[in-house]
Amino acid sequence: MVALLHKENSLVRLFRWIYSGLDRTIFMGLKFTFPTRFVSPLGFLGMLTFVIFIILGITGALLMLWYEPILDRAWDSVENINDSIPYGFHLRNIHYHASNAMVMMAILHMYYQYFSGRYKIRNEILWVTGIIIGVLTILEAFTGYDIIFSERAELAISIAASLTNSIPILGPDMRDAFFGAGFHDFVLRFYAFHVFFLPIALIGLMAVHFPRFLVFDVPMVMAISGAIMITGGVFPVDMGLKFDPNVPPGITVPEWYLTGLYAFLRSQYDKFVTGVAWPGIFIFTLLIIPFIDKYKKFSWKDRPIISAIGITSIAQIVITTYWGFYIDPDRTKSLLERLVIDPIFLYSVMLALVPLSFGFTYLMIKLAKNAEANAKRQPKRTESPITLNEKWIYLVFIALIGFQVYLNIAAYYALLAGMKNISLFIIGIIMLVFAGMFHIYRHGRTIANNPLPPSIQYSDKIKSLQHRKASLDESQDKPKLTSSPENVLSQIKSNGLLSKVFKVASKNKNSFEKMWSKD
Amino acid sequence: MSTQPTPRGDDKISRRDFLKLLAAAGTVLTFTPFVDWGKFLPNQSGATNEKSKVELPDGSQANVKTFKINHSEAIIYPRSDDAALNKEAFRTWQFIRLPQELGGEKNDASAFRAYSMVCLHLWCLWKYWPQDGRKRGECPCHGSLYDPLTGAAFAGPASLQSPPSNVLPMLDLEVDKDGYLWILPPNWNVNGNGIVGFGRFIA
Repeated sequence: MVALLHKENSLVRLFRWIYSGLDRTIFMGLKFTFPTRFVSPLGFLGMLTFVIFIILGITGALLMLWYEPILDRAWDSVENINDSIPYGFHLRNIHYHASNAMVMMAILHMYYQYFSGRYKIRNEILWVTGIIIGVLTILEAFTGYDIIFSERAELAISIAASLTNSIPILGPDMRDAFFGAGFHDFVLRFYAFHVFFLPIALIGLMAVHFPRFLVFDVPMVMAISGAIMITGGVFPVDMGLKFDPNVPPGITVPEWYLTGLYAFLRSQYDKFVTGVAWPGIFIFTLLIIPFIDKYKKFSWKDRPIISAIGITSIAQIVITTYWGFYIDPDRTKSLLERLVIDPIFLYSVMLALVPLSFGFTYLMIKLAKNAEANAKRQPKRTESPITLNEKWIYLVFIALIGFQVYLNIAAYYALLAGMKNISLFIIGIIMLVFAGMFHIYRHGRTIANNPLPPSIQYSDKIKSLQHRKASLDESQDKPKLTSSPENVLSQIKSNGLLSKVFKVASKNKNSFEKMWSKD
Repeated sequence: MSTQPTPRGDDKISRRDFLKLLAAAGTVLTFTPFVDWGKFLPNQSGATNEKSKVELPDGSQANVKTFKINHSEAIIYPRSDDAALNKEAFRTWQFIRLPQELGGEKNDASAFRAYSMVCLHLWCLWKYWPQDGRKRGECPCHGSLYDPLTGAAFAGPASLQSPPSNVLPMLDLEVDKDGYLWILPPNWNVNGNGIVGFGRFIA
């Protein structure tokens, strides 16, 4: 049994063969890094967004087996998935919460790139494609919750259609061409957009958007998956009420990433201005910002105006998002009175946020620079990392495996008892435990590869050194192969044309490593 | 290149540029037929050149002699063979015989109106209320009120929308010699019969 772990069996050889074969594919341009220690997820939020996209693709593909995009059956088929199909509840909830997570992750990813200044200087294409991907992601999430065809979905569809209608001259024809005429067409076409048009566009853009250096952090990926499942378990998404045009709907608000836009629409000002022009200007500003940013430096502290613009946008997004959710709780007023937001109030708040955010940014920059200067004067604090020795690694690992067994049983029993959300919650915990387990595993491997000094016996060390010397002598006797990797490398280096390319590549590599060493 | 000076003078086009123009013209012509393929996108099922009956919920055709004054019914237009599609809100129309004071006692088409029931605000289905003091279309959702004579919203959120989104789409009606009511072929355009869920300009 143990011998099997040491021997290179045929399965491992197959994987190695496939891996070496990838050299001839497009993947040779990519460099995957699997961190051997904890690194801040801020640097690979894009990869996490992509992982969530894959989760959405898998759960969405499975939901397609049961969902029916037909006017009078859409809602019922979702109810069937949710209530009757085994694990339909789980898949629907993962799909729903992953869609929110993807939008959130994409926004965080965007702002991290924005404030760290990595979006400019030869990264403009990455930024511009990223913004388009972000807009399509929101449209993808939006079309998704529309095709349930609940009351809320109908509200969203009618807003989408009336915004398209409001576009001068071309609007009504565009609505007719893209959405068709009537709810039957809307449901079917939104479905087509949701499962094919938008995802295929996203994948195409992602092919352009992917940088060459990618980080795949297994514990973080599993933790994100677990977090999505736990959220699904704690806040299972409801069905909403089936849309019936003869029944007055209750108060509904759109998903959180659209309530900001909804707040503007609720000001009852012109639909085109509030619903198309404002978001259009916002997206356009995002597209051109790397070309406006003329600062030579990257840190947010050295780019005050750009940082202040970013802080302003965050402040405005947060406030309008909350405002879109807020509905006057006074039930004695008419529904319309409760819904309408005074445009003068709304726009003056938006304007007031600009100087406030600029002031806040300058304050933060001053504080940060002050803290930096103080930190330089004071002696560096010594880090005290948590290092488990081998014995404790085994103990913790065994305890986690035992916990996994318990959680597996608990999840299955919860399902048998009909507590689907509890089962989903526990499966989320299992994912988190796996994340912890993997982290301990890689920590253990690091220790095994770099044994701690006191544990090495002196005589052993001498022996191993002697052995190494002997093997080195042996290798010197052998004739050198002309096409050894070292030779090829030196040839490339000596070649005038290629050396430039090599330099650029190694420079990129250095900056990439520097990026990680910061965390 | 076009920036290079041509040996025969600036007013003459070079052979190379001429060839480029020919290639551009050929490319444009090759892809021209696909412009018309855009017709694949919109749903044309509502377009017809024939008159159709005003079919009441009981299956009979509306007649000026029997349809009561100051009364309304929900009719389906265009009617489909598919029962599911006939439930579509976008195919439901409010067929109204106007009250007496608005000319409802006349025995011609001017006494009747057929408006799209899809409220122009957020697409709930409004209906006509014949009671004294109301005699108007009312939307149950956010309280938009519609004038039965013109189909224009005069109160509520729909009335605040800019034209054409404040006037309901309307079907043209005709009465034959036996008094039966017919719907004339519609022109689904904001300047014609209007666009359901969007509106109509009042001529």
